[in-house]
Amino acid sequence: MSTPLLLGSIAEVYAERTGMMICAIEGIFLIGAWGGFVGTYLSGSQALGLLMAMGCGLAMAALYGMITVYMKQQQVVTGTALQILSAGFCSFFHRVIFGVPITPLQIKTLPKLPIPLLSQIPFIGQIFFNQNILTYFAYILIPVSIFVLFHTSLGLTLRSTGENPEAVDVAGINVNKVRFLTVLFAGVLGGLAGSFYTVGYLGMFTTGIIGGRGWIAFAICFLGNWNPKGAVLGTLAFGLADAVSVWMQAVGRSELFPNELIIALPYILTILLTIFRSNFNVPAKLGTPYTKER
Amino acid sequence: MKKSNVLIYNIAAVIIGLIISAAMLLFMHINPITVIGEAGRKILTDKYTTGEILVKATPLIFTSLAFAFTYQANLFNIGAQGQFYAGSITAVSLSLALGDKVPTWILLIVVGLGAFASGALVGALIGLAKAKFNANEFLVSMMSTYVVNAFMDYLLRTVLKETKAEYLQTDPIKKSAYLPKIVNGTRIHLGLVLAILAAVGCYILLYKTPLGFRIRAVGHNPNAARLGGIKPAKIYVIAFLIAGGMAGLAGLTEINGVQHMLLQNFNSSIGSFGIGIAILANGSPIGCIFASILFGFLNVMGTTMGRLPGLKIPASIIDLIEGIVMACVIMSYYVRSWADNRAQKRNIRKAGE
Amino acid sequence: MAAAVVEMKHITKCFAKVVANKDVSLTVNEGEVVALLGENGAGKSTIMKILYGLYSLDEGQIFIRGKETTIKSPADAMFNGIAMIQQHFSLVPVHTATENIILGNVKGRIDLKKQNRIIKKLAEQYGFDIPVDVKVGELAVGVQQKIEILKALYINASILIMDEPTAVLTPQESDLLMMFIKEYTAKGNSVVFITHKLKEVMEVADRVVVMRNGVVVNTVNKSETNEHELAQMMIGHDIIPAERDTKLDYESLPAVLEFKNVTLQPKDSVPVIDNVSFSVHEGEIFGIAGVSGNGQDELCDVLSGIRPMTSGEILFRGKSMRGMSIRERIEQGMGYVPVDRYRDAMEMDMTLSENILLKASFAPKWVNKGFIRKKALDAYTQEIIKKHAVKATGPDDLARSLSGGNQQKVVLGREVDLGTSLMVFNQPTRGLDMGAVDRIHKVILDEKENKKAILLISTDLTEIFGLCDRIAVMYKGKFMGIYNNGELSTAQIGLLMAGIEEGAA
Repeated sequence: MSTPLLLGSIAEVYAERTGMMICAIEGIFLIGAWGGFVGTYLSGSQALGLLMAMGCGLAMAALYGMITVYMKQQQVVTGTALQILSAGFCSFFHRVIFGVPITPLQIKTLPKLPIPLLSQIPFIGQIFFNQNILTYFAYILIPVSIFVLFHTSLGLTLRSTGENPEAVDVAGINVNKVRFLTVLFAGVLGGLAGSFYTVGYLGMFTTGIIGGRGWIAFAICFLGNWNPKGAVLGTLAFGLADAVSVWMQAVGRSELFPNELIIALPYILTILLTIFRSNFNVPAKLGTPYTKER
Repeated sequence: MKKSNVLIYNIAAVIIGLIISAAMLLFMHINPITVIGEAGRKILTDKYTTGEILVKATPLIFTSLAFAFTYQANLFNIGAQGQFYAGSITAVSLSLALGDKVPTWILLIVVGLGAFASGALVGALIGLAKAKFNANEFLVSMMSTYVVNAFMDYLLRTVLKETKAEYLQTDPIKKSAYLPKIVNGTRIHLGLVLAILAAVGCYILLYKTPLGFRIRAVGHNPNAARLGGIKPAKIYVIAFLIAGGMAGLAGLTEINGVQHMLLQNFNSSIGSFGIGIAILANGSPIGCIFASILFGFLNVMGTTMGRLPGLKIPASIIDLIEGIVMACVIMSYYVRSWADNRAQKRNIRKAGE
Repeated sequence: MAAAVVEMKHITKCFAKVVANKDVSLTVNEGEVVALLGENGAGKSTIMKILYGLYSLDEGQIFIRGKETTIKSPADAMFNGIAMIQQHFSLVPVHTATENIILGNVKGRIDLKKQNRIIKKLAEQYGFDIPVDVKVGELAVGVQQKIEILKALYINASILIMDEPTAVLTPQESDLLMMFIKEYTAKGNSVVFITHKLKEVMEVADRVVVMRNGVVVNTVNKSETNEHELAQMMIGHDIIPAERDTKLDYESLPAVLEFKNVTLQPKDSVPVIDNVSFSVHEGEIFGIAGVSGNGQDELCDVLSGIRPMTSGEILFRGKSMRGMSIRERIEQGMGYVPVDRYRDAMEMDMTLSENILLKASFAPKWVNKGFIRKKALDAYTQEIIKKHAVKATGPDDLARSLSGGNQQKVVLGREVDLGTSLMVFNQPTRGLDMGAVDRIHKVILDEKENKKAILLISTDLTEIFGLCDRIAVMYKGKFMGIYNNGELSTAQIGLLMAGIEEGAA
């Protein structure tokens, strides 16, 4: 269940390092989930479904990037608008395409691919190494992102763009292009993350399927100090709270200990960490559009 | 001249947004013009339905004020939904406890104050986090909604659970705790008047009093404000407190005015719509009234179209319309500044020749 | 005569609010230093930013080494061997020197150790000693400038544009920079040196292009001109120094402001204000000279109440300022014109009358039954507009719509009325044109006549020598000494500004 959070928060890490908060992440998750479902259902191929999810995420990110990067509008405000837009878009076109079916439509979910030997490790093996392809993709993404961000010229450019776009401009690199392309890439990752809920896990689509998890990915990026390693830790914390909550419900101890508290725990954790973390290295120009008179 | 300029661009953007949205109906092989005409006639000819526009607009005025007010201090209050829930919990608890025990007007004043106070409390805590620890108020306010929501679910499952214990909802409140209706044959209630007064009050506070001036000064440039002897930290708490209170009052109007009980996932999108409306109004409290009525109208339009026989238009079309309209409005801000810039530059060049 | 490497012909550039360049033509030859001389706002930086591709041109042509070239972005400029050092450095403070230098110039995987070696070697070729693996934000401005120069050398630029490079340097550091420029051009490279300081022009330039109001007014060879002639071309008329009366016995007048061993030491850091003591008396202008970034801004922060001092005592009319809030300081009669009016003194998106109200929002005289007395406020604002000759249509103008000089006049008008006994000015004329500067100097002298105590912090020695009664020189948070005006020569004050004690004889 933590896969989309990991993918989403890493998408945010990339974008925020260039100074762009993806405040539309909740909407991108949703449209990715929907795209994955529709693509898979109509084509019968999960691969095409995932492709469609990425395409939908890309399209929403393109709209977001156009408004925030090139039109220089407020990121928070734009994100909220696009979140509402995605919700409306998905439910409306879901109805247009499928009408009102009597029983909920189902697609086959991605198969679990146990990794030989590793999946045999007691307890951990089943949790970490008997997963679907999206989860393994997320695993690979962690070291790759660390390498790209901190050991390549591309990473240097991305990080510089968030800290001092003027310096990047003067060095002959188009700041807005860097930001826009990064937002697009984040959109692809975000769409894929969203598709995990439909194609990877539930096999069906409802408009409430994301339920704020996009925002959690957003928060994890903050808590993880804009670093892929931090994103992994943050995701594990949220995943743990989620798992405990499910387990508590299953064993029916909610009379003794309010289940709602467990559900709220990740959010409370986020608030507390946001308040009490001191050594934040926020990208200096996070959320600031790059403007120069031309 | 400058202000009317904004208004023209805004209205144009709304109209373009509506046209694009109407075109979406073509995907359903429906002629938008006839359908909208029919729905429009239904809304305007039926007094009850016309009234619904204002009923839907009432809580939206409050939640949009909740965003617009902090926006003046350059803060983002994304947590209006949670502050609204806090207000709702208090409103329903007080109404259940006091129903039929005290006169209606006393009960309503108590409930109103309670709803305001609980929303304000949630808001002030967010403001405090910002003021004391320079926490990111955007993130904190967003997370606070989920926390309040979980708390509300807990209460609905335990102490506030209805007597039948069937659904996650409270018992209905007593008739004497209802906000009185102000127009016969509709559901329009006193809350509408309250909402308009609140918006006007916010406007006066912001633009006519020293406190409002200080809030705006901090919003535009906290450094300069600080050197002017204003304490930004204090302003952050005050702005969030008032904003939270506004969202809390929506709890009063929805519990005592419309729903008469509290249930799970109650009005779950008025928080985010409030943000959209505030943007549409460009953060102006008076603008929030009109933008809320527009959203109320779209809302009723969507439901009415959904009820038109044989067409199967989903009610969710309103989300789509509202999303498109908001995107158009945001883009219009860019188009306006671009056009202004171009005109200025052309003038300069002409003058130079 | 050497071949022309850059020819800009008939360049015109408009911004939304001003014509920045009008029909500007200039040439840069091989191995030559061209000084681009003009006042602030004359269009010097704009024309060079066009050459470097940061701005697009509206009309005109650019020829590089005889070939017509379109320069759309800095990448095009760099490809043609052009590099530019911006007035405000374009460095990423949290990255190291190496990371800043290689930004945009390397591909693929970065081997930081190898790059560090390459940069170190490059720096040594020019005798620069820079730490390559320290975050540049932690380095001194002089060092940061060397890193900017290395960026140009790293891409093998043959045309180097420098925008006001000496603004942040001590006279001695400037000399080193001049030496570098001579060495660099001796190899056949060219330099464009943007400045408004005549002395530098005479020292380093081969040819001088003088600009005023967006047009080139003249181009002369240095050998055929002198400072006086250049000044006239630059300003358009003669400069008349402001008149001031001579010697007063300040010690006998009451002290309004007293600093007693004031120290400000941030956690885990050296003191930024180090044991500073002085006093400012009624009717006295006390100047603090020094290169910017030596603790002057922090001194203002402590005085205005933004930051609490670590130790020491500040007395204001004999009363301790410890624990006094910013609001109380204003109400006690302290006026303060901060260095950065955009950041600290004005609400750019609010009206002029709201800007007047900014520092008096608690004052009962502007409030009636809880509401702002808008009419009275507007009338008062109109008074200030008139008194200080602010070019504005009225109190409802947005501050943003005014020019920099007029904005500063509004701030000045507000502060001198608030500061009934003490005025603090931090670089009040930075970035303004001559007309505004004259006017502001006159206001400062008027306030002296009104028996106010005045603290003037400035990096501009002409201003310091022209206005002050006593002068302190600040270096690394310390006072290098307090002198009567007239005691020090420019050379001596230069040494003091560089932290060398024996400068004062």
